[in-house]
Amino acid sequence: MKKKSEKTGLVFFPAFDWAISPTHPEREERLLYTRDQLFEEGIMDLPQIVQYQPRLAELKDIARVHFCVPDIEAQAGEAHRIAAGGALVLADAFMTGKIKNGFALIRPPGHHAMRVVHGNRGFCNINNEPVMVEYLRQKYGLQRIAIVDTDVHHGDGTQDIYWHDPDVLFISFHQDGRTLYPGSGFADETGGPLAQGTTLNVPLPPGTTDEGILFVLDNLVLPVLEEFQPEIVVNSAGQDNHYTDPLANMSFSARGYARLNEKLAPDIAVLEGGYSVETALPYVNMGIIMAMAGIDYSNLYEPDYKEEYSKENPARLKQLAETVQRLNYVFSRRQELVAAARKKADSFFRKSRYISYDTDQIHEQQTETLINCPDCPGYLLIESEAVGARQGDAKIFCVSIPLRSCRRCRREALDLYAKTRRQPYEPYHYLYLQDRPADVYLQYDYITKKERAY
Amino acid sequence: MLIGIDVGGTFTDGVLYHEGSILNTVKKPTVARKLQESIIAVLEELLRGVKEKEISRVVLSTTLVTNLLAAGQEEKTALLLIPGPGLNLRRMNFFPSAYFLKGAIDFRGRITEPLDREEIVEIAGQIKAAGFRTAAVVGKFSCRNSSHERQAAEILQERIPDLRVVKGFQVSGQLNFLRRAVTAYYTAATMDKWKGFATDITSALRKRGLVCPIDILKADGGTMPLEASLSHPCETVFSGPAASVMGAFALTRDNRTSVVVDIGGTTSDLALILQGQPLHASKGAILGGRYSSIRSFAVRSIALGGDSAIRWTGKDIELGPDRLGPAACFGGPAATPTDAVNYLEGGILGSLSSSEEALGKVSRQAGMAVKELAESVVAMVTGRLAAEIKEMFKAWEQEPAYRIWEIINKQKVKADRIVGIGAAAGAFVPALAGRLNCESFVHAYSPVANALGAAVARPTVSLLLHVDTENGTYHLDREGLAGEVSYHFRLEDAKKLALQQLQRIAGLRGIGQYADRYEFFREEQFNIIRGWTTCGKLFDIGIQIAPGVIDEFKGVQA
Ligand SMILES: [Zn+2]
Ligand SMILES: [Zn+2]
Repeated sequence: MKKKSEKTGLVFFPAFDWAISPTHPEREERLLYTRDQLFEEGIMDLPQIVQYQPRLAELKDIARVHFCVPDIEAQAGEAHRIAAGGALVLADAFMTGKIKNGFALIRPPGHHAMRVVHGNRGFCNINNEPVMVEYLRQKYGLQRIAIVDTDVHHGDGTQDIYWHDPDVLFISFHQDGRTLYPGSGFADETGGPLAQGTTLNVPLPPGTTDEGILFVLDNLVLPVLEEFQPEIVVNSAGQDNHYTDPLANMSFSARGYARLNEKLAPDIAVLEGGYSVETALPYVNMGIIMAMAGIDYSNLYEPDYKEEYSKENPARLKQLAETVQRLNYVFSRRQELVAAARKKADSFFRKSRYISYDTDQIHEQQTETLINCPDCPGYLLIESEAVGARQGDAKIFCVSIPLRSCRRCRREALDLYAKTRRQPYEPYHYLYLQDRPADVYLQYDYITKKERAY
Repeated sequence: MLIGIDVGGTFTDGVLYHEGSILNTVKKPTVARKLQESIIAVLEELLRGVKEKEISRVVLSTTLVTNLLAAGQEEKTALLLIPGPGLNLRRMNFFPSAYFLKGAIDFRGRITEPLDREEIVEIAGQIKAAGFRTAAVVGKFSCRNSSHERQAAEILQERIPDLRVVKGFQVSGQLNFLRRAVTAYYTAATMDKWKGFATDITSALRKRGLVCPIDILKADGGTMPLEASLSHPCETVFSGPAASVMGAFALTRDNRTSVVVDIGGTTSDLALILQGQPLHASKGAILGGRYSSIRSFAVRSIALGGDSAIRWTGKDIELGPDRLGPAACFGGPAATPTDAVNYLEGGILGSLSSSEEALGKVSRQAGMAVKELAESVVAMVTGRLAAEIKEMFKAWEQEPAYRIWEIINKQKVKADRIVGIGAAAGAFVPALAGRLNCESFVHAYSPVANALGAAVARPTVSLLLHVDTENGTYHLDREGLAGEVSYHFRLEDAKKLALQQLQRIAGLRGIGQYADRYEFFREEQFNIIRGWTTCGKLFDIGIQIAPGVIDEFKGVQA
């Protein structure tokens, strides 16, 4: 199916007319200096690079991933749809053999956006990588996918979306959640009961350098990928690990990022965070592009960079070695762990939790029920209630049928949706169905009694 | 009266225009080694029976620089680069003979690494020993701060007083170090020969009694005084296609979308006029195989023309890419696409029997009727052109945008008409237009539209202004003019400053009458933020006198 191409695809969409607020870190000029650096360097003129124009993602592309309250339009503005569409353009170019790999340099970012979206969390509404992954699964029939999140913040949104999905390997390394937003991503978060070991989190101690991060890459990420054999590797390429980032405390350099990308060799990288707009982003983005395109990056450095910034201290290395060993163990035993969980549990697994939206000041209470099925990863039910959202308080119920669901589970889930819809009183504001096997997505409004299909 | 002369690869065309009429047209073969003579010969004929005093303007479009570069006759030039961090150009073999200097400037124009005087002195010694007479010095971000380029050039000239040095900021203010380096290098390398040509042609024209301004057509479709071209010789490359596009523009003059099809003997050039605006190439003209910062029209050349040879390969019909001579109907040796049209249209172009005989040779080999062959050939030509036109529109639609409204508002544009330029246009353009379901436009003066385009094109000037209120500085491309601004400078102030500079430069070039035709093609404003507070603003303002026709042009009667 795939022909060999030597080109690296680039979508550069700085969204020069979109900001959360005028002085917010996620604002218009976030990629301005990156533009200056890329344009002045003339890297887009090189034969190795081909530039693509993003498109507007369809509402259906978003419905495959998210349950948006009150509807998709309210959460996904034009900027979000173009950012996600940028990733989709590269996905198509990659799958049709037009590029060997691609980098979507887009904003706004997305990796803190979870399945249920009541508002903006951690600068994110729509999660660009899952939108691309579900598109790849539906359009090109891909099954096994790996997402490696290298943003300094835990990719809790992406983790939430793939928590119960054993076919998507999600690895995130990030600054320790005890010292940074969103306060999650600890080593013991290793996936839902029927998808254990396909979520891996490496909390990094503050101050970790190039050497430390590359150690995690060499000793955990690369061997795990080798074993998992994904059909495509996606990098959630945050750039806030940089030693100058104002929101975090890590010590990664532009050359470290280039080295990481060279080793990881992602098929598609998607920009996430990174708020050192002047001192890091111009150089880091250049480094990632160079590494992906196979261009010599030995002359790339920040004006104040010194070689010793890259060295790691022994105490941190020792700590990282322990985490890496523990996660390798979990990953190697993942099938046994899933089998044991299946056997031990009743007909379902249930979990309740509280989710906070920092940007929009929303409080969400969520109960998740996963059906324990011997033949498939099980379908998922979510009940969610949010207060403080712009659109008013809302209570919703969602039914999600995974792509690899068995026929019995799918039948049950569809019946449950139909039954819940028929309820005479109004138990919820909205009811959602995500029927991935049929690629059909429904939203029912109990007040207007209208159902919308995507 | 206006004179336009377009020196093409094969022919030199000239027109004499006056108040709505073309009074005379001339077409003569171009003698590649003696461009001046070709120009003078055409000029002599145009001036026959005309008083020299009545000529108010002569515009030349010439392939001199293009030819120099194609023949590798540019002068040996030392290229000194100040690349700072980024691509490893030393190993990329970007320019095999480049010298690399220490020093770096960042995107805000801050010096992040100083120049090394000793190093430059040493390189000056090497340059002198190698016998270079010209050099180009180009630094990354010199469009934000030109001090390194100036200092390095100064040191070179201290050591080698007669060295001619071109600095990067003088040739382009756009962000693109590689293109700026290419442009500065070829500017330095062609300056001397261009100056020789300009001096010769000026004295020849003055000797002939012409006292009017002499202008040169640029790749962007605008003109500049011959005098101004001395420091910017590379802006004259690809003025041939620019002349054709401006010719089409002059003959149509409305806000519709046209595809300009210039069908020559062996090649066809395609260009777009989108809603009345000629489309410029997004990456700049190609010099010596590399992108430059010279703004030029987006022209797509394909190896297929009215004289391409028709052959039967044993399996299919093949067109060109070579030319064996003129079409058979004009006495040529073999069948051509022009013959196919001539045959189908009953000999409207030339000898019907010659076309039929030449086509017959091929059709017998192919085992088909002459009519069938002729129809296939026309379908092939129009099919190729139509496919390329569709590709051009697609490429334009896919050009990167950086703002939400650009993506939301980029409408699909469709061709309203095909404008035929060149001698063979009349033969193919109607069929092509039919195929693309749009109008066909072939003017009686289409064969000399290129020279007409040169004659009536108006001057263009384009300026970029970069303002940084945190640093309190502004930078203007061209001349590397810099100055100070207050912290309270606003977007409106920046626009005002850009306009003043445009008016000043237009005045200097003697084209002040066009200064009020300006338009802002870029207006960017960004906040500089530290922590959560705004500590300054950045403005990028682009202002230009866009390509167009001069006020004296009143259309052409067919
Ligand atoms: Zn982040
Ligand atoms: Zn099941």
